[in-house]
Amino acid sequence: MQRFLIFIALLLTAFAAKAADAPDLLAPQAAFRLSAKMETGDELLVRFAIAPGYYLYRNKLQFSVEPGGVTLGTPRKPKGRLQEDEFFGRVEIYRADVVIHIPVKLPPGSHSFTLLARSQGCADAGVCYTPQQQKVVIGPGMGERVPDGAPGDGRSLVDSLGGDTATQR
Amino acid sequence: MTRTRQVFIFIAVALVALVGGLALHPLNRAPATPPAAPPPALLDTPLESLAGGKQSLGAWKGKVLVVNFWATWCGPCRKEIPEFIRMQQRLGDKGLQFVGIAIDEKDKVAAYAREIGINYPILVGELDAVEMSRALGNELGALPFTVVIDRRGAVVHTSLGATTEDKLDTLTKGLF
Repeated sequence: MQRFLIFIALLLTAFAAKAADAPDLLAPQAAFRLSAKMETGDELLVRFAIAPGYYLYRNKLQFSVEPGGVTLGTPRKPKGRLQEDEFFGRVEIYRADVVIHIPVKLPPGSHSFTLLARSQGCADAGVCYTPQQQKVVIGPGMGERVPDGAPGDGRSLVDSLGGDTATQR
Repeated sequence: MTRTRQVFIFIAVALVALVGGLALHPLNRAPATPPAAPPPALLDTPLESLAGGKQSLGAWKGKVLVVNFWATWCGPCRKEIPEFIRMQQRLGDKGLQFVGIAIDEKDKVAAYAREIGINYPILVGELDAVEMSRALGNELGALPFTVVIDRRGAVVHTSLGATTEDKLDTLTKGLF
């Protein structure tokens, strides 16, 4: 009986593996999963978990905050991998996990703010996503926050800018 | 509960999980069959034209239209454009009309179009253009995205990712 169960388990694993190999595409929020938290009182830790087969352009990553009053320092982006691109020459990209540290200055009495991360990436399958903007609300004692609705609601930057009702909080 | 029954329940749960997993798999959310006829607004949405002024796809109604959503920052998009240029040259007289819709900055698009000699009209957009491609089935808002529209204005094919001259030849053959 135990052998039979193992056989079924292996069979299901084989099915699952086959489905994952299919040349399909993830929604950008699932391909580039953003989370963020305050590491110290004045430094923000931002993480992108990038799905296998996807990459982000290092020089296209931009961060801003809402509301005004909160100021961000220069993000410390780690070195990326150099990729020879047929059209763009050498480009620096991120794959897998990338962690970025950003100094933050909060005005007195202020404890929470919204981080807006703009990113641009492609899939090895041969498509590129329109620039994405994801939002994360950062506050005291919130731990690591991932945007609500992520992954997979597929809103792009222009969407977010176009209608604030659809933005992630 | 007997051992056999436990096994059956295990298998049933596993199968439900498998089927559910496959159903929710992104593959099934990728652009499906194109909408048969686009909402009228689609052909009437004015976008900025590289040639100046505003233009909507409706301007080319009556032609066999190949609409290509692209951007200069998208490598796979740049790869297929020379094939489109060739095809426009070869089949333009028969009524084939390529229209590029760039989701990009106008000056970058203009410089690139000049550089490689794009011989078909280019429109430039942002939110409006992304929404257009979404309405055509490009749920992920990814590029390149190419749409074939027949002479009546009905969408006959959409594809996400780079396409080829051969494939477009096959798709448009019966439309002239």
